[in-house]
Amino acid sequence: MAHVVLRDLVKTYGSFKAVNDVSLTVNDGEFVALVGPSGCGKTTTLNLVAGLIPITSGEIAIGDRVVNDVDPKDRDIAMVFQNYALYPQKTVYKNLAFPLQMRRLPRDEIDRKVKEAARVLDMTHLLERKPRELSGGQQQRVALGRALVRDPAVFLMDEPLSNLDAKLRVQMRSEIKRFHQDLKATIIYVTHDQLEAVTMADKMAVMNGGFLQQYNSPAQVFAHPVNMFVASFIGSPAMSLIPLEASTVDGRTVLTGAEGWTLPLSPLNARKVQRSTTKKVVLGARHSTIKLTSHAAPGAIPARAYTVEPTGDVTFVQALLSGALVNISVAPNIAVAPDEQIWLEFDQERMHLFDGATEMALKVD
Amino acid sequence: MTSMTAIVATKTRKQIDVWRMVGRIFLVFMLLYTALPMIWMLLTSIKSGFAAMQLPPQWWPNEPTLASYQKLLDPTNSVGQDFLRFFWNSLFVSTATTILAVIVAVPAAYAFSRFDFPGRKFLFFAVLLRNMFPAVIFLVPLFILMRLLGLVNTHGSLIITYLTFGLPLAIWLLKGFYDNIPYQLEQAARIDGATRFQAFLLIVMPLSTPGIIATAIYSFIGAWNEYIFAYTFLNRNEQLTLPVGIQRFFSENTTDFPGLMAASFIMSLPVVVLFLLLQRYFVRALTEGAVKH
Repeated sequence: MAHVVLRDLVKTYGSFKAVNDVSLTVNDGEFVALVGPSGCGKTTTLNLVAGLIPITSGEIAIGDRVVNDVDPKDRDIAMVFQNYALYPQKTVYKNLAFPLQMRRLPRDEIDRKVKEAARVLDMTHLLERKPRELSGGQQQRVALGRALVRDPAVFLMDEPLSNLDAKLRVQMRSEIKRFHQDLKATIIYVTHDQLEAVTMADKMAVMNGGFLQQYNSPAQVFAHPVNMFVASFIGSPAMSLIPLEASTVDGRTVLTGAEGWTLPLSPLNARKVQRSTTKKVVLGARHSTIKLTSHAAPGAIPARAYTVEPTGDVTFVQALLSGALVNISVAPNIAVAPDEQIWLEFDQERMHLFDGATEMALKVD
Repeated sequence: MTSMTAIVATKTRKQIDVWRMVGRIFLVFMLLYTALPMIWMLLTSIKSGFAAMQLPPQWWPNEPTLASYQKLLDPTNSVGQDFLRFFWNSLFVSTATTILAVIVAVPAAYAFSRFDFPGRKFLFFAVLLRNMFPAVIFLVPLFILMRLLGLVNTHGSLIITYLTFGLPLAIWLLKGFYDNIPYQLEQAARIDGATRFQAFLLIVMPLSTPGIIATAIYSFIGAWNEYIFAYTFLNRNEQLTLPVGIQRFFSENTTDFPGLMAASFIMSLPVVVLFLLLQRYFVRALTEGAVKH
């Protein structure tokens, strides 16, 4: 196993910058998820690490070796593709043996390793089948087997679960996580599904528009998103972002909504807001941090329920506030009807404040 | 209501049956149209010269004989010598054309499918442009060109010409094949330790075998059956290919119909055998290239 270092990585196609000055370090044995919406540059970044496309500028090191000009076959990596890329004319056995044959291992050693990998992944009975005779989950497993049979320095995975149905995806998610724990493997995992990233990864690199937005543990990214993009991308349902106006009333900093209501801020939040470049401030709140009441209370803001979505163990209420849709989760026994008058209380400790102009999180040092 | 729908259903069912019958009758007619001349060729080839000219015709030869075949395949007489030489010439020209076509078409099609190089669209269009004109248009210009190159009366002139006509479709057919082989397979192979060329050789080539076989059959049949260019470019008797050879050979003396039919039958054998052996690849190539999976 090895660590991977990306330094100022750039990939351009003509005038389009697909990957923009991305720098990050994947420690030995770490599971890192590259996550972002489609077109954010995450797959391009992975292909750059694999060496499948040439980099424009910057540096990639695997272990202590700079691999910018090293062929994919010599980078000591294994990759699991979104469509599995199993060799359709070869049996499962030959699929698993191929990377070993290319490395000119002796035949009996190949046989031993293939059988060992098949045993670990519980597919010994499938060895003589062709890929098209396998189910999606089994193909997935063969793809994983072909990666692990070689014992590479780094595993690269490109949306390996996105072609599976929902149930199988959850199952394979825990299998890959288990696989990582058992092997202490260095894994770089690309996904557009923030839930996969949050549940599996040690660290997640959130990307958007070719830029690395934030690189930290899922808990840190969840609790302290650096900007509005990360805040809205991580978490489901998404964090509500409400555009407000900051002002000072009677020496207290307050936020004013489009409807005219004001929200007095705690001293800490007031200090954050004072750092904003303009008066425009965006309030971010996750669904679970907003308290919904059916009657007026001090500090509660009046709103109108828009939709109500019961899911069984929790009910999601959407409300219109200052031109934004706000998600609130409530216990299923609380009855709210659409268009009903409700009051919302924001948790000062757990609210996020963003600069309305730069979209960056407001912080006090 | 239910009886109404039942009536409607039987009515449409009957209509479908009628159309199916019409279709079958049409197919039977087409089958007879193509098969009867072949059968007549075969029957005539085992008649004696006299029996072949009889009116009303002998539908089934009274005295079937293989004499015509023996004469054609016997290298000790002049007829057999000529025929076997024509056969060998045709085989050489067609095989050389086929091998060269595959050697050129495989990398060309792969490049058109995989690489984005300047002029790619223009070149691909240029490749197809040739097929938009009837081949005869090129007869005189190519003859002049061959004369300038000193290739008249050589098999090389035919091989080059057949390649010009066969390659565009071969490249187009194979490109469809490569387009359908996911690029990720090559990427996977390269990560698994193969060079780019090994990935092509070990992964892509085996997957495109049906396409290559179809391309080969297509080139071979095209070259094997071609008449007008061979007729124009070759003059010397010992170089003629079968289509020209047979035609010249039998029009020189009185027309020996059983001999002509026997020669035609032997000439159609390689194509028929090739097709029967490899037709499943051919069909796969023509359909698989067309549809995305």
